[in-house]
Amino acid sequence: MRVDRELNTAELQAFASELDELRRHTLADLGAADARYIRRVRGAVRLCCWSGRALLMCGWFPPTWLLGSLLLGLGKILENMELGHNVMHGQYDWMNDPELAGTRYEWDIAGPADFWRHTHNHLHHTWTNVIGMDDDVGYGLVRLFPEQRWKPFYRWQPLWVTLQALLFQYAVAIQHLRLDQWYKGRIGAAEVHPLLRQLGAKLLRQWGKDYLLFPLLALLLGANALAVLAGNALANLLRNLWTFLVIFCGHFTERAAVFAKESVAGESRGHWYLRQLRGSSNLEGGRLFHILTGNLSHQIEHHLFPDLPARRYAELAPRVREIAARYGQVYNSGRLSAQFASVLRRIWIHRLPAPAAMP
Amino acid sequence: MSLLPLLLVRRLTFLLRPLRALVAHAWLREAEVDAVLAWLHPAWRLNRVFARVEGREWVSDDLLALRLRCNGNARGWRAGQHVQLYLEIDGVRHGRSYSLTRVGAGGRVELGGRRQPGGRLSNRILDHLPVGALVELGQAQGELHWPQGSAGVGLLAAGSGITALLGLLREALARGYAAPIRLLHCVRRAGQRAYVEELQQLMRRHPNLDVRWLLSGQDGRLQPQHLADMHGLALLACGPAGFVADLRGCYGEALQAEAFSAPVRDAAPGRAVRLDFVRSRVEAVGDSNRSLLELAEAAGLRPAHGCRQGICASCTCTLLAGAVRDLRSGTPFAEPGQAIRLCVSVPLGDVQIDL
Repeated sequence: MRVDRELNTAELQAFASELDELRRHTLADLGAADARYIRRVRGAVRLCCWSGRALLMCGWFPPTWLLGSLLLGLGKILENMELGHNVMHGQYDWMNDPELAGTRYEWDIAGPADFWRHTHNHLHHTWTNVIGMDDDVGYGLVRLFPEQRWKPFYRWQPLWVTLQALLFQYAVAIQHLRLDQWYKGRIGAAEVHPLLRQLGAKLLRQWGKDYLLFPLLALLLGANALAVLAGNALANLLRNLWTFLVIFCGHFTERAAVFAKESVAGESRGHWYLRQLRGSSNLEGGRLFHILTGNLSHQIEHHLFPDLPARRYAELAPRVREIAARYGQVYNSGRLSAQFASVLRRIWIHRLPAPAAMP
Repeated sequence: MSLLPLLLVRRLTFLLRPLRALVAHAWLREAEVDAVLAWLHPAWRLNRVFARVEGREWVSDDLLALRLRCNGNARGWRAGQHVQLYLEIDGVRHGRSYSLTRVGAGGRVELGGRRQPGGRLSNRILDHLPVGALVELGQAQGELHWPQGSAGVGLLAAGSGITALLGLLREALARGYAAPIRLLHCVRRAGQRAYVEELQQLMRRHPNLDVRWLLSGQDGRLQPQHLADMHGLALLACGPAGFVADLRGCYGEALQAEAFSAPVRDAAPGRAVRLDFVRSRVEAVGDSNRSLLELAEAAGLRPAHGCRQGICASCTCTLLAGAVRDLRSGTPFAEPGQAIRLCVSVPLGDVQIDL
């Protein structure tokens, strides 16, 4: 558990202005190096995906099939995390490049970019870890915090979480449909239908590409269509598992805090910053590890500055850590294995209601 | 290094049609297609206009004529319109608007660009853009056109306003326009008179053309008596906003005019500004105290938005003209085509927003 010092209004204001200053300083420094970096990432995505797809055309021969699937999976992970997620946050809008404009980017994943920009950029980043407002807290399937009301189906949540991890891109895609609200009769079919159509169109394009076009191409070239299909499926599966891992370790670790709806009424900038710091957790690792997580391993910095290019988080981290220490706030950071173990512990413990609350 | 010659690229443009349809229906990403096309030839793109610099020539002390050859995507351009010329500096794509002084066959166009004192981008373009360099252009815009029929045409240019009018003049003379044409170019010093040699040649060849210069540095500002011989002619004017406003005062709607001006970078708080929400065709009056999101909503629009505090980027829109200030960092933005967030941007002067 975490023990943070409570801050009074004046302290909150000072805390906010220190973080604002950090943001301004980085913004003023953005330039050619950041532009070159994101274009290189895009180049790496293209190289991985196309070389992976080319290798898959060699059929079931294990070295090429495995390497091809891994390369395609790596390309999809990079596209998802370091390119798509970060560009869609508007991190590179300052470049004025229409190809990297946050509002227009469409990523290579089941969920339409427009859905994500709403559920993630708006709801999740504004109301981070506020129970009842940030649907990312358990995605309606998992009870991770004692503050979440217990329901009988949480008993089998280790199973739900496993399914969610395997199908993570679809779990993220349907989040925006608010099917639970529709089931409870709070929103009508008229609201869900257009969204379903939009999702259907995107799924058609994704499946058409991975499971129809490239296998057909293999057939035409006299290669093994089934090997191509299986390679695509494996690549998507790897990406699902990796993104699930990174994202669950971002907000649901042992020392991550959740907040009540009442606590955010009339929230100041300082309080918002404080909530981002308390609700997020960092992962420690090398440079390649950070890139593969889309720098979401610096989840705290990402939540404090969602629109700064993610490659800057590493240099911001020591300064944020120092500010957090000065204001008596826990800076939640640990190795991936330790953080994930604490997430698994939460999933296991909170599948049952708290003993005190039992009848 | 290019794998295909530009001529072939222009000829092969028809091949892109099915790709355009696929991109329009989101079956393909334009950036991916463009990456492959650019690999085949650096100027080849699906929809965007890229051009190679083929020549550069100073036509006055401070006005450069740039000859460019575009890929096949420059469609329906007319001389006298203006295009954005984009250049990337320190990772940021900047654009400046220049007039088309000539639109020729085979994608050949000519632009006129004036050196702005202290202008970082205009100087970079004018001094350092070498022959052979590749630049991006926006699609041509502007309604200025040669008057139909009429008993003659009067052209009134100030400063770099000559470029748009020269474009129209060259085309009209090439078409064989025979009624009287009078061109008056107002500049500060003699060295700023542009295209002098060419205009004198045109005068010799076309007796119906008469060109005069007004040096405001020694003759003073434009006065009604300077325009006495323009009486009865259809008038076309192009120049800075003040110049065009003065002429409007004299001639009213009879004048066809286009004005340009540097955006106001600093406005007194609370000053009234004009807001033009282009896509929704709403014009409104706002002030520099409130965010563009609030102003747009006050004008009856319902822009897409999220957190209203600059976190989520849902309300990102393109700034087409004018200047805004980012409330969080205090940075002014005046770059046409710049992405801005409505909820944390206040207008610094009249603005045009793609909303």
